Amino acid sequence: MSQTELVVQLQQGDEAAFKKLVDDYQVMVYNTALGIVQNEDDADDIAQEVFIQVFRSVSSFKGDSKFSTWLYRIAIGKALDHEKKKKRKKRFGFVQSLFGSNEDVDIQVAEFEHPGVKMEKKERANELFNALKQIPEKQRTAFTLHKLEGQSYQQVAEIMNTTLYAVESLMGRAKANLRKELKKYYSNNIPEQ
Amino acid sequence: MNRQEKINKLVEEALGSLDDAQRAEPRPYLLTRINARMNKGTASVWEKAGWLVTRPVVAFTGLCMIVLLNVLVVMNKTSHSNNRAEQTVQTQADELSYTASPIYDIDNTQP
Repeated sequence: MSQTELVVQLQQGDEAAFKKLVDDYQVMVYNTALGIVQNEDDADDIAQEVFIQVFRSVSSFKGDSKFSTWLYRIAIGKALDHEKKKKRKKRFGFVQSLFGSNEDVDIQVAEFEHPGVKMEKKERANELFNALKQIPEKQRTAFTLHKLEGQSYQQVAEIMNTTLYAVESLMGRAKANLRKELKKYYSNNIPEQ
Repeated sequence: MNRQEKINKLVEEALGSLDDAQRAEPRPYLLTRINARMNKGTASVWEKAGWLVTRPVVAFTGLCMIVLLNVLVVMNKTSHSNNRAEQTVQTQADELSYTASPIYDIDNTQP
């Protein structure tokens, strides 16, 4: 079944088409969300929300872009929204702690391990994921799509609705910022080999 | 290898650590979880109202409106009570037929 046929069937409310949509795109949606939010439960929640939104708003899909591009945009938007909410909650928790209320303050970010990274590279990957949290969200999105989703710069440009030149620039800045963050980290924490 | 070289090596290793990473897969039965979530139905009217009221913009605007209404009520009451006090004094003066006579009225015995 082609993407166009799938979209038409989804627009008709076909349940079998929805099942096929989830089967075909769950890894793509989940992996993208996971790269951004760095938490497996949150990524699972986001993946559910993405498919529910697609089911409810597929009639608004006009076919101006590829269906997968549209899906990527929804997944990225939801994941970034989730991150913002989390940050707001953290700030609110901090303000609450100033006024003596300690409920819901312990929003600790657990050490994230991406399940797809090879065992021998896990430690370095953890440090990279920590550094990723420190860079601007556009750079992080471009880096995640390219490195974790294996999208070419051209595809990243389509998903982010920008030019190839802009993506090259984003990736350049992302790498420079990550180098800076990692150097700062390793200057204080050189691991014992 | 000196310290700086060691740091640079670690940085490059970290940057390349995702190069051959596999895509992560969600836990099984994602479709079942999605269906369960959709069947749970949409939020009730009260849940939606609660969500709306707790939006920072709505909450702040509501708070400003309440403060503004309070200020208006207090100002209105103050001006009303001033008018009423003046009226009361005037009424009492009328009832007692109190009129302050100027001093020249006492001295002036001529009609």
